[in-house]
Amino acid sequence: MGAEWREGGTRRTPGRAVAYATCGVVLLAGCASMPDSGDLRGVESTPRQDTQVRVFAMPPRDDAQPLEIVQGFLEALTSDDPGYATARQYLTEKAAQKWEPERSTTVLTDGPATDAGPTGTRDDADDYSYTLTGTRVATVDAQQSYAPASGEYGQVVHLSRDKKNGQWRIDALPQGVVMGKSDFQRNYVSVNKYYFASNTTADGSDGSRQPMAVADPVYVRERVDPMTQMVRSVLTGPTSWLRPVVRSSFPTGTALPKGVTALTPDDQNKLTVPLNDKAVHIGQGKCDEMAAQLLFSLRSLTPAVDEIALRAGGTQLCSLTEERAAAVAARGSETNPGYLYFIDGQHRLERMTSGSGNTKADPVPGALGDGAKALRSVAVSRDEHSAAGVALDGKALYVTSTVSGSSIGDPVLQSKGKTETDRLTTPSWDTQGDLWVADRDPAAPRLLLLEKGAGQPLEVLTPGLDGRINAVRVAADGVRIALIVDKGGKQSLFIGRIERGQGNAEQASVSLQELRSATPELEQVTAMSWAGDSRLVVVGREAGGVQQVQYMQCDGSVPEAGTLPGLTEVTSIAASEDSEIPLFATSKEGLLWLPGGSGWRTLKETASAAFYPG
Amino acid sequence: MSGDSAASAPGRSSGARPERPVGRRTPGSRFARLLEGGLLQGGVQGSPVLRLLLRWVRRPLLPVMRLWRRNIQLKVVVTTLLMSLGVVLLLGFVVIGQVRNGLLDAKVKASQSQATGGFAVAKQKADEAAGAAAADGTPADGGASQNVIEWMSELVLSLSSGGQGAFDVVTLPPGDVSGVARGPRASGFVDPDKSVPEKLREQVYSSTGAAQSYSRIIYLNDKESQPALVIGKQVNDPNGDPYELYYLFPLTQEEKSLSLVKGTLATAGLFVVVLLGAIAWLVVRQVVTPVRMAAGIAERLSAGRLQERMKVTGEDDIARLGEAFNKMAQNLQLKIQQLEDLSRMQRRFVSDVSHELRTPLTTVRMAADVIHDARVDFDPITARSAELLADQLDRFETLLADLLEISRFDAGAAALEAEPIDLREVVRRVVSGAAPLAERKGTTVRVIGDQQPVVAEADARRVERVLRNLVVNAVEHGEGKDVIVKLAAAGGAVAIAVRDYGVGLKPGEATRVFSRFWRADPARARTTGGTGLGLSIALEDARLHGGWLQAWGEPGGGSQFRLTLPRTADEPLRGSPIPLEPKDSRRNRGALDEAGLPRGGGQKSATVPMQPAGEQLSAARSQLTPRMGTSAPTADPTALPGNGARVVPRPAPGTGSGGSGGGRGEDEPRAVGAAGAAGTGGAAGEAGAGRDEHPERTEAAGTGDVPGLGDAADTGDTRETALRGTSDRHRAGAEGSNEQGEAFRGR
Repeated sequence: MGAEWREGGTRRTPGRAVAYATCGVVLLAGCASMPDSGDLRGVESTPRQDTQVRVFAMPPRDDAQPLEIVQGFLEALTSDDPGYATARQYLTEKAAQKWEPERSTTVLTDGPATDAGPTGTRDDADDYSYTLTGTRVATVDAQQSYAPASGEYGQVVHLSRDKKNGQWRIDALPQGVVMGKSDFQRNYVSVNKYYFASNTTADGSDGSRQPMAVADPVYVRERVDPMTQMVRSVLTGPTSWLRPVVRSSFPTGTALPKGVTALTPDDQNKLTVPLNDKAVHIGQGKCDEMAAQLLFSLRSLTPAVDEIALRAGGTQLCSLTEERAAAVAARGSETNPGYLYFIDGQHRLERMTSGSGNTKADPVPGALGDGAKALRSVAVSRDEHSAAGVALDGKALYVTSTVSGSSIGDPVLQSKGKTETDRLTTPSWDTQGDLWVADRDPAAPRLLLLEKGAGQPLEVLTPGLDGRINAVRVAADGVRIALIVDKGGKQSLFIGRIERGQGNAEQASVSLQELRSATPELEQVTAMSWAGDSRLVVVGREAGGVQQVQYMQCDGSVPEAGTLPGLTEVTSIAASEDSEIPLFATSKEGLLWLPGGSGWRTLKETASAAFYPG
Repeated sequence: MSGDSAASAPGRSSGARPERPVGRRTPGSRFARLLEGGLLQGGVQGSPVLRLLLRWVRRPLLPVMRLWRRNIQLKVVVTTLLMSLGVVLLLGFVVIGQVRNGLLDAKVKASQSQATGGFAVAKQKADEAAGAAAADGTPADGGASQNVIEWMSELVLSLSSGGQGAFDVVTLPPGDVSGVARGPRASGFVDPDKSVPEKLREQVYSSTGAAQSYSRIIYLNDKESQPALVIGKQVNDPNGDPYELYYLFPLTQEEKSLSLVKGTLATAGLFVVVLLGAIAWLVVRQVVTPVRMAAGIAERLSAGRLQERMKVTGEDDIARLGEAFNKMAQNLQLKIQQLEDLSRMQRRFVSDVSHELRTPLTTVRMAADVIHDARVDFDPITARSAELLADQLDRFETLLADLLEISRFDAGAAALEAEPIDLREVVRRVVSGAAPLAERKGTTVRVIGDQQPVVAEADARRVERVLRNLVVNAVEHGEGKDVIVKLAAAGGAVAIAVRDYGVGLKPGEATRVFSRFWRADPARARTTGGTGLGLSIALEDARLHGGWLQAWGEPGGGSQFRLTLPRTADEPLRGSPIPLEPKDSRRNRGALDEAGLPRGGGQKSATVPMQPAGEQLSAARSQLTPRMGTSAPTADPTALPGNGARVVPRPAPGTGSGGSGGGRGEDEPRAVGAAGAAGTGGAAGEAGAGRDEHPERTEAAGTGDVPGLGDAADTGDTRETALRGTSDRHRAGAEGSNEQGEAFRGR
């Protein structure tokens, strides 16, 4: 017995050793081969670094020919030279003093061509001139505001031979700089400056009225200390187009103190902005607004700024973090819509939770959702408590609540148009709860404003409007309005400025001022929606092209990566100011959406209009 | 010199020197002497500062060096570590080099094909643009150049967008800017001028083909610069103007791979080195541990513990070593035991024989006395026989007494009856006892150093016996010259030296004189008294006191015997107040003469130099005390005390301040014992010869040495007996006062 035990014991020991050795070998083998399971973790997306091409300006060569001088000068304009110091070396001293490159930037399709001018055809002459020619695309004015332009460009550059050293230099040239479109896109970047709407406020989270931030898009040179440029630009004030309806919290005359050359955020992404003496006696609230303006503006340039601190007179006035900025001022892109609304195949208003990817649709509570009235188009107010619906025939506009059990009531507006397309457009709510709608009656085309969605419609003055309004969309900031204007069969997008005059006590006068074309190259704009503080998503067709969906800046420029996946016969498009929320569109295919930018996907077979609140 | 005195014997120099330099040298030269001394001393190794620095550096290293010398395990482990480190480094360099070349080859091939494609695209685009311009019908002169500015920017953009991060594209104006040249363009924040090497530009400009070079990409933004392969070619733009197009391929990935390999190799190498070190440590430990054990056992064996044995386990080489070792120890123990037994037996035999002989001898003595008393009645021949009988019986009795005494010592039965005595009394008794003999020989016995009491705890009888032996010997071998008995006391020791100027001792005889029945010439018949055991007994007496008895002598220069006793019985001896070699030895005198130092002519030629004893003694007292306190003389372990002749001079002068005894107190008695043992051996070897040493000495003196031979022996002896004190004195410079202090140098 005992012997057996002992035998068993001795036999077990090598067995165990073998087991241990096997375990060790398996472990080692695990280390020596690639893992095929486990280690689950999230992947941080590394930002795709774009291949930026830089042009390095060269000073003029000795004994360079006139053509070389002109070419070198034009090339120097496309470089990142901060003050165009190299470009100035191509100029005579006098011309260099007079030349103001900041005055304007002219963008040509293909860059300026140089044609030998009328004088100086002889080689031995002491003066020479070239004409810079090209097709204009846009101009950026001294306020850095972009404006689409068209037409031929033709400016004369005159060269003369320096008497002393015999070198050719430019002695007469147009102000500003000129460059090709691709150079412009390479060198400049569109950023939003933020100001506050003069007479529009938004409901703050704590019930108080917050100032509404209005984006003012400008172009800055991307690689010439854009942050400081941006701060200077914000301090200078809004561009002239927006100036009548916005205010800046910075006291007039506020600027960076002399000697400040470059601003860079510190390790904690905090940017300290020194201000001159004008800003010394500023209240805390005002200072927060100032900081919010700068913070919003700089974050549109780079997300690497989380906090703004303002200093003046040697003391810190205030400091504002990104989290607190939301409590200081409201911004269109910060207000998330609760639902996406659409009109289904039975002409009822339905809604889906926005942004969650949940595609389950419910009828909207209230009169519009129960199918009692067939609807053509609807607008839901920004607080999502009321909705305005246009009947299927387009004749009548109803305003009702989205509370269940509400009745549809009487129409608040009726159109006298003869056909469906000559009647009421899709209405639009602004932040103050006023309802905008256009009547397309060819006999009396007009833009109407219903204060709080009720009462007597107020006809909005539209000076300078040429054509019939086909669609209306008020921006979240309440000071800009996007219109599709139909003129002679061409539909184009216009951006207007809403000015609320004082008028008399009962009847405030509201007008749209300085309408400007945002899509000069598009012929058939069928649908549009605001898709950011200064960005719209537009469905349109270029002359001789096909319909496409693209982003547009409200100043008319096309942002980089502006084009979206193509879609045909779009009847409506829904976009939110918050760029995180997906796009929806309706077409023949029904209701479609664009999750993550990969391509359009069909959600519902039949739907006629999709929209977010507003 | 000051350095020397500071290092070796501060006490001595302070006592002996102070007045000397003032008299001999100008006071101002003291500093110069100091400096000179420092330089002189440092002459071997450099300036004193450097030496100081060296010493300062070496001091913390000394324990390490000592460990290194003594520890074989450390040696093996360190050697293994160093060698494996070397191998790992070599391997690492080779592997890294090969990996680097392989990576580069692959990268270069891929880059070249990519760049070649890029150049083709650039050419094609230029052709297309030129063709389009021609088709548009734009005038060739000014119009054709219209789009190049933008065209080239777009070209760079399109070329560089093909390889996001994999490469960057740079265009540069051609090396010779003669026509319309475009400015440099670069993608990806590359600094074109700094990133493209000048030599590559020259090459690209001068040849039509593509060229490549390694460079370092410098970035305009905060990105760190990195190594890169640059491939460039001269291409034409749509206008036909040349420009240089460069592809820059960063070698970031390759560098990362290389650093991965490097890291891997470094880690692996570190592991290998550490592992090898540990393995070496373990292996050496397995070997060294038994060896150390064996060493320990051997040390204990050599210390006399013969029963020690090694532990033997296993059957390996170490076990065999252990077994052999144990066998050896066993045999040794056995042999030693046998020898001891034999020796004991012999001693007992001698003792027994002496006792047994006594009884018949007494009877024979009484009978002989009767015969002797009645000799006048005999005929002259018989009367002469009776006289001879009585004489030889006297000798026989003395011999027997000595034998008994010796056997008592051998049996350990001798007891010391120590009490404080004044040695001067003893000396006086001995001198007066030897006076008749001295008178007969015409010798004067003089006593030096008896002005003050020389008290020691000693057995007066034994001391007197020793002294009598020494004095009688000195008188007998003094050849009628003076015999000087010198007394001195210092520290914990008293010493009595007996100096004669007789025939002296040959080299090597200084130890043998203490051997029993020793004689230099066995053939010579013994004529004078003495049993041949006197010095042996004297040595045993000295040893019983814990003291030393040492002899010094030189052929023709006389000899000196020195008895050193501790002041109190149980105090170990550290030195002797009297140098073993007298200062008037030939060698000392010769050395002084050689040094050419001034001394009195009388002193030079004096055969019997005399120093005022009182001065000597007082000087000795004053110097000895600090000396004993500060620096105990370091003894050369090889020096056999009791034999000043064997003290080997140390090469380092700084440490050579040892006494003339040449050893530490604790060493000396043992060595004396050894000398005694040797003497016993010698006696055994020459048993039966029964002759005294003294006649042999006289004979040696009588036969005389050939002068040349004597000189040679003298110098040999000189070398042998070169004492540190002497070498010190060489440096110190022999001056008048130094002569006086010299007598106490040995302390």
